[in-house]
Amino acid sequence: MKNKILGVLLLVALGVVKVPLEDRVADSLKAAQLRDAPLALSLRESVSQMAFAAALGGLRSLVASITYLRAYVAFEDRDWGRVDSLMTLTTRMQPREAMYWDEAAWHMAYNAATSTQQREDLRAAIRNKEFREYVLRGLTIVQEGLVYNPNNPKLLVREAEIYRDRLKDPRPAAEAFLLAAKNGAKPFYERMGAYELVKLGEPRDMQQAYEILKRHYDKGFRYPSVLRDLDILERKLNIPAAQRVGHPLPPTPPPHRK
Amino acid sequence: MDTPSPSTAPPPAVTVENLTKVFKSGFTKKPLLAVRQLSFTVGAGEVYGLIGPNGCGKSTTMKVMLGLLKATQGRATIFGRDSEEVASRQDVGFLPENPYFYKHLSGRETLNFYGKLCGLRGSELKGRTEAMLELTGLTHAAERRIGGYSKGMLQRVGLAQALIHEPRLLILDEPTAGVDPVGSRRIRDLILELKERGITIVVTSHLLEQMQEVCDRVGIMSNGRMVSEGKLEDLISVENQTELILQDASPELLARIHALVQESGGKSQLISEGKPRTTLEKLFLQSTTQTGDGE
Amino acid sequence: MANDFAPQSLMSSAPSRSAYSSFSPGRIWTMATHTVTQLIRMRILVFMGIISMVIVIAAFAFPAVSPEQQLKLLKDWTFGALKIFFIIIAIAATGLLLPRDLEDRTLYTTLSKPVPRYEYLIGKLLGVMLLLGGGLLLMDLVFSLMLYLKQSLIISSQIAALEKEQAATPENIAFIKDLNSRFGLTYSLHSAVWAIFLQASVVAAVSLLISCFASSTLFTILVGIAFVIAGHGQSLLREWFLDKMSGFWQKSLSGAIAVFCPDLTLFDLAEPAIRGEVIPLGVLTEVSGIALLYIVGYTSVAYLFFVEKEL
Ligand SMILES: Nc1ncnc2c1ncn2[C@@H]1O[C@H](COP(=O)(O)OP(=O)(O)OP(=O)(O)O)[C@@H](O)[C@H]1O
Ligand SMILES: [Mg+2]
Repeated sequence: MKNKILGVLLLVALGVVKVPLEDRVADSLKAAQLRDAPLALSLRESVSQMAFAAALGGLRSLVASITYLRAYVAFEDRDWGRVDSLMTLTTRMQPREAMYWDEAAWHMAYNAATSTQQREDLRAAIRNKEFREYVLRGLTIVQEGLVYNPNNPKLLVREAEIYRDRLKDPRPAAEAFLLAAKNGAKPFYERMGAYELVKLGEPRDMQQAYEILKRHYDKGFRYPSVLRDLDILERKLNIPAAQRVGHPLPPTPPPHRK
Repeated sequence: MDTPSPSTAPPPAVTVENLTKVFKSGFTKKPLLAVRQLSFTVGAGEVYGLIGPNGCGKSTTMKVMLGLLKATQGRATIFGRDSEEVASRQDVGFLPENPYFYKHLSGRETLNFYGKLCGLRGSELKGRTEAMLELTGLTHAAERRIGGYSKGMLQRVGLAQALIHEPRLLILDEPTAGVDPVGSRRIRDLILELKERGITIVVTSHLLEQMQEVCDRVGIMSNGRMVSEGKLEDLISVENQTELILQDASPELLARIHALVQESGGKSQLISEGKPRTTLEKLFLQSTTQTGDGE
Repeated sequence: MANDFAPQSLMSSAPSRSAYSSFSPGRIWTMATHTVTQLIRMRILVFMGIISMVIVIAAFAFPAVSPEQQLKLLKDWTFGALKIFFIIIAIAATGLLLPRDLEDRTLYTTLSKPVPRYEYLIGKLLGVMLLLGGGLLLMDLVFSLMLYLKQSLIISSQIAALEKEQAATPENIAFIKDLNSRFGLTYSLHSAVWAIFLQASVVAAVSLLISCFASSTLFTILVGIAFVIAGHGQSLLREWFLDKMSGFWQKSLSGAIAVFCPDLTLFDLAEPAIRGEVIPLGVLTEVSGIALLYIVGYTSVAYLFFVEKEL
């Protein structure tokens, strides 16, 4: 009997000692970016009890991968509403996984939008309206992803591309491209940002674009589009002729030649 | 703890002092008095038999002696050490009633395992294992998994593991239960041999004839109490009775004997009369030729 | 505790073995290896086969999705399977040991040998941990091999694609290699496997404690599972199951859970490792330390209950 009482006491003592230690370890994990925010309770309605329990049991990535695969099936069926809801579930399950946000946004802004645009059975006005709605939905998704993953280059690039290709809005596109490049995206995206700045045509933007493209030129990136935009910028910014490097694209690029 | 100095007389192999064991179990938690105020002593080298009806507390007493159960009151010692001390177990071999072992192990692995737990290693372990397999007649089955052993074979594995570390005290709870008469006779012989080597043995059995053959002293328990204890001869000879066994007696002769008893008057009287029988055990031995499992 | 009685003339031979000591690594090792043998012969290795199959299937089942997603799926499924199966193994193996020994009465013969009850418990736990560790090591090898293979395949196919587009600049190739090494095989993934080992070991220690109260395997397994769930989502659990309870009961219950349950979420390092996050050694040490605290703590409590146990 004595030992049992001792056992209970030890168990309680252990419990009291461990709580602050657990908090300490949890803080270290948080500091190292290794701890995820607790699962949003609102998810309980959208997934099965089983999946929710599994997610609670530390199997979030597994549950997310399943909803992701189901979204993929829905994508192949072109069931866009389902793609959206399943991808939303996936991103809620693992909000720190930028890949999921990126793909969710891509599904909406590109696949869903383009597919409605091609629907012959809808009237043009409706098609255009739906196209825009899907694109904006994609934009919302990627921006929400950026809240959970601030300055994530992958998501910034996606945002920039949606602005550039789908909404034709160079300013936010340029900003997102440049921010992405600053945060580890391929250097290529800095040039993308610069091209967008060129489209804007404001002197300040042109100055910034010129600095970027000249820097890339000096590093050896002398691609035709770099030279073309440098040519435009040098003329607009009145760069002294001696320092000019750009030249317009050849009128007809000879095919199949190095 | 208290190491007895070599000069003093060696302590008794077993002492049980005022042992009381109360079980509280079941949903009602109604206490059950399994052993009450039990005391006895077993000297080194003795063979002590505990007998009594089912449920009288024999196995419970043995489990207390091995520290498997805690005494509610009183205590037991093994060679001077309290039975609650783990160290007291290094000199004891125990065969529980209906022993069972890890069924995934073979007989040899089982003995190796118990030998290692007793601190045996290397060639000594190997030697002891083989010797015990040999002794209990299990060599032919040593590679087989225990799961496939018969009841008698399990009993023999139990005996082998109890003996593996050459203990000075053996505690055997119904060693012959479920063993055929040949095996049972072998176990009896083994006990006698061990006794000869000076090993102390505490044994329970319901086969009283065998107990009679091996025990120096017996204690008879009933309802958790010791009702009678002493040297075997003292217990079993009935001083005031005489037995006559006649061959080819005619009815007239019997009638005359009856008359004589009547005539003599006083306290003498005829208690029983009948045909003597050979024991069932002897009959079984004469008519069977199989000798144990396998072989 | 050296106390040999003067050898009696009656004894057949004087055994040369060492005197009894109250703590013997040799005996614990004997118990542990015996436990491993027992569990292996209970065909617990079938689980390893299942996990390997999950890994192989996950590596090649989803060719349609993007390369990064393919790597991620392989990792997700592997870690999901590792976690599920090793926690099941930890609970079931432990639940099968002590209650089984009690039911089969094999405990009588073991404990009637000079084996202290703490050695018996430590031996059993160590055996389960050896099995978990060995199994995870094996699975880590299989997984690493598959991931490396997959990663190399993806890199070469991506480079081939770049060459086709005439965009195979050193810059782009380096970027692809860098990206794949971040999402492919990293040290952090091994750390995450180690964390699963810690988690499963803690669960085994808790199950051992439970099995000291319980006398049946089923009870141990069910309560063990309840502990795993409670240890994973303490706050969520409260909201999920206990919506209707009053504040007082909720508070006391959550307090009880916090005190009695190990926080198993501390060992969930797989997700960040899959994401490509680096798990620093310091953090890993802290996590290992708290696991050790749990294991030692719960085993000590288990001993205090077990030593009182009537057999
Ligand atoms: N673990 C236990 N819990 C509750 N009661 C028990 C326990 N073990 C034994 N008993 C009870 O104690 C009493 C004595 O049991 P014990 O096993 O010692 O009898 P026994 O003399 O060995 O009988 P048998 O000849 O049948 O083997 C019995 O009434 C039994 O029901
Ligand atoms: Mg009995």
